[in-house]
Amino acid sequence: MESKSEILNKLKTISPLLASIDKKNVFKTPDGYFEILDKRITANVLLNDLKTSRTQEVPEGYFELLTSKIISKIKNMDSGEEIQDISPVLFSLRDKGTFAVPPGYFENLSSSVFKKIDNGKAKVISIHGSKKWWRYAAAAAVAFLVIIGSLEFFNNKKATDDNTKMASVSANLPDYIKLSFQYETPEQFENGIASLNDTDIIAYLEQHGNVLDDEQINNGIDVDELPDAVDYLLNDNTLNDFLKMTNAQAKKE
Amino acid sequence: MNPILNDQELLALFKDPATKEQAFTGILKKYQEKLYWHIRRMVISHDDTDDILQNMFIKVWKSLDNFREDSQLYTWLYRIATNESLTFLNQQKKRGTVSLSDDENGLSNKLRSDTQFDANKLEWKLQLGIQSLPEKQKLVFNLRYYDEMPYEEMSRVLDTSEGALKASYHHAAKKIEEFILNH
Repeated sequence: MESKSEILNKLKTISPLLASIDKKNVFKTPDGYFEILDKRITANVLLNDLKTSRTQEVPEGYFELLTSKIISKIKNMDSGEEIQDISPVLFSLRDKGTFAVPPGYFENLSSSVFKKIDNGKAKVISIHGSKKWWRYAAAAAVAFLVIIGSLEFFNNKKATDDNTKMASVSANLPDYIKLSFQYETPEQFENGIASLNDTDIIAYLEQHGNVLDDEQINNGIDVDELPDAVDYLLNDNTLNDFLKMTNAQAKKE
Repeated sequence: MNPILNDQELLALFKDPATKEQAFTGILKKYQEKLYWHIRRMVISHDDTDDILQNMFIKVWKSLDNFREDSQLYTWLYRIATNESLTFLNQQKKRGTVSLSDDENGLSNKLRSDTQFDANKLEWKLQLGIQSLPEKQKLVFNLRYYDEMPYEEMSRVLDTSEGALKASYHHAAKKIEEFILNH
């Protein structure tokens, strides 16, 4: 191995000028730089070690491709993938239907719609529609009867003893009021009203149609409670004519 | 710990987790100044030198366990320091942070901007002459002239044959002499 003097002598042969120059250090360092340099480097090395040991390795080029991957995924994602990404729970509930549909409903839907359209070409006065109207009228009439009857009942109850038979009926009271006297207590005629069905009402009215006339019906029924004309496909004139006709038939009977 | 342990002893202590940090400190104290000046003569700026030195020793910490000991420890350390310095200079060239004037890296401008700079003084002319050399030639001259490194070791540091290194050193010395005589 060459000594320092050997190296210097070889330089003299190449350049005596360079060999003669005093090796002065022209570069300066901050005061005390080397005294603490090892500590600074060690601290930096250990911090770096800690930092790299906590992070997971990322494949090379990962972040460079990440943006384009995300954009591509968004563009190509369908609604199913989207909801699956957002909430796997909601995704699992997607196909669980909660509303039941009768068997064959959708297969028969178009034909039933066309049937209705065809049926709508000829005007039909639906019995069910008028029956519906009658139900409102009958219920109102019965309620009227009951109210009048109950008023009479309670008024007479005060005047007489606790036996609640309706004895004092004025001969001037119409039949339909008398009929309400079968109910002896408020609970009874409330239950009685609740027990009425469409058939009963229609039968009663057919049997006792004379208790009802157009004027009473008109006075006892709130027009706003009637169903809309579109529900029974009738206009007002047709309805009135029908009522008059029906009433006249009931009187003949 | 005795800071004057030889390289083999330091390496053995480094491999033991219980004494790893102590061994590393020992290596630092033994080589930090030599490596600092080797880098400083390449990049001129103290701050740049400090950054390169820090990065260099992070790499040493991470890879010293794999050091095969087929060369001297200080040779291996010099190699890392040289590579880090050259990488730094190349990055500066690409960023354009170093002006391209009379030398490849514009480092002579950095010398001239030093507050202590005196163009009439021989030591400053010597430095300007060194900065006028190509990077590889500058390395050869610095390692031989300042660090008095044998060509055998230098060939391992720079991965160049001894003959090429001798020739390179010869040409470098002649150029610097000519620079000094002409400035």
